[in-house]
Amino acid sequence: MSEMKKSTRTSFAEALVKVGQENLKVVAVAADSASRYGDFVKKFPERSFNVGIAEQTMIGVAAGLALSGKIPVVTSYANFLTFRAIEQVRVDIATGGMNVKLIGTDTGFSSAWLGFTHLALEDMAAVRAVPNIAIIDPADAAEAYKATEAIFEYKGPVYMRLRGRKEEPLLPVAENNFEIGKGQILTKGGDVVIIACGGAVYDSLKAEEVLQSKGIHATVVNMSTIRPLDEELLMKLTSFIKHIVTVEHHNITGGLGSAVAEFSGGKRA
Amino acid sequence: MRETADRIRKDSIWMSTRAGTGHLGPALSLAEILAVLYKGIMRYDPQNPGWPKRDRFILSKGHGCLALYSILSQAGFFERKLLEEFCSKYDTMLPGHPEMKLPGVEANTGSLGHGIALGMGMALAARIDGRDSRVFVVTGDGELQEGSNWEAAMTAAHHRLDNLIVIVDRNKLQLGDFTENISQLEPLADKWKSFGWGVRVVDGHNIEELLSTFKQVPFVCGKPSAVIASTIKGKGLKAAENKIEWHYKVLTRQQYEELKNELSLEELGHE
Repeated sequence: MSEMKKSTRTSFAEALVKVGQENLKVVAVAADSASRYGDFVKKFPERSFNVGIAEQTMIGVAAGLALSGKIPVVTSYANFLTFRAIEQVRVDIATGGMNVKLIGTDTGFSSAWLGFTHLALEDMAAVRAVPNIAIIDPADAAEAYKATEAIFEYKGPVYMRLRGRKEEPLLPVAENNFEIGKGQILTKGGDVVIIACGGAVYDSLKAEEVLQSKGIHATVVNMSTIRPLDEELLMKLTSFIKHIVTVEHHNITGGLGSAVAEFSGGKRA
Repeated sequence: MRETADRIRKDSIWMSTRAGTGHLGPALSLAEILAVLYKGIMRYDPQNPGWPKRDRFILSKGHGCLALYSILSQAGFFERKLLEEFCSKYDTMLPGHPEMKLPGVEANTGSLGHGIALGMGMALAARIDGRDSRVFVVTGDGELQEGSNWEAAMTAAHHRLDNLIVIVDRNKLQLGDFTENISQLEPLADKWKSFGWGVRVVDGHNIEELLSTFKQVPFVCGKPSAVIASTIKGKGLKAAENKIEWHYKVLTRQQYEELKNELSLEELGHE
């Protein structure tokens, strides 16, 4: 793996400035979380709003902007964005298929020192329980950049998970073109398939090295889109590999593992 | 506008009786407010519901939708025949709370406390685009117990959104009891003022007063406007006026037939 390191949050902010330059419809709505937008706020003050510590209002305002043809982007701690405002996400964003980009940060244990209130271990479960919203958890900073560009090309609501400010290694995912709804095979092996998303892709690649040394060959998949799930790829892999493991920085309930299990269960039925 | 308001009442009573369901009391208190907004104040084009320069209307108290469906049909957004569909089937265009699939409905509402933030977003978009569109949001008074309203009220004032107008349908009743018995709202005008809004308290059934008030918005340049409209829940249906149980209650067919004369319902030609 590369020695290069970068945080997914920083990468998102850089991509957002580029997107904002190209697309004047992009509007940022912050809930006292303006730093997450990086230079966007400085460069486009007329398209940047802060509603204060009020996540419900942030989501509602974003929906209102979308109803007037704007493409709003909101970000906050993933747990507050999803749980504090899940009703607004459901009613104002999901049911109408609003073109709003929801960016949850500090997912998993990436801000563990802040205590359990700031962990986001159920955010995907919350969003997955709501219809229509695409869910993306980029593996590294390079993919976070590409995914940021892609979600603004995509018409409809998206929930993207990012981690903290901590710099993380760049993984061998960038050479694969990011596409919403497509998983990437990073290593090929016939004994076990490890399906991972977000920061867990790094862990999975490390695990693959350990397995390799023990003579076990693993296929590692970067499943950075949790919804829509890449069922075609899953179908292909599960047809010849019996053992499936999923890895994610999220509760076992309602995240990537659940999505894959639901797919597998449905396939058997 | 008087006729329009009367027709809102008659349509609401007829639709809810026909369907055997609906929030009738909260619709009847809205009749004059909607008649004045749609017939005297707001700019819109029913032939082109997405006209960017239109004023927007959000019924935050979505349960009052009987009145909204009536005014939208009267304004020409759809054929009046469609009113027969109210709550009539699973996928009706006119469900018990309004949805955007119906022309003229600007936002899905029904869960309380969402309308002001949605309206803020629309008001901000108008500002970004340099449009002079205004956004009118009707909230219930009981609805103001949802904290999200006050988040949005604080923020709208901070951003000086004087193209945003909130009308509180102050009928003093909510589902379970009088608002002041559940969680006190008074002094309501002072609350809005202290949040940085221009405020007027008006008789919500007085057409002239409503018209002149809405013509004066924004009441204060650079401030959003709050109109506290004193109304009577169930107004126009004597049995229902100011009665707790009429939040979610409708006439039986028999009561409807008996009241036809009192309400001049037969002149509508319904059924």
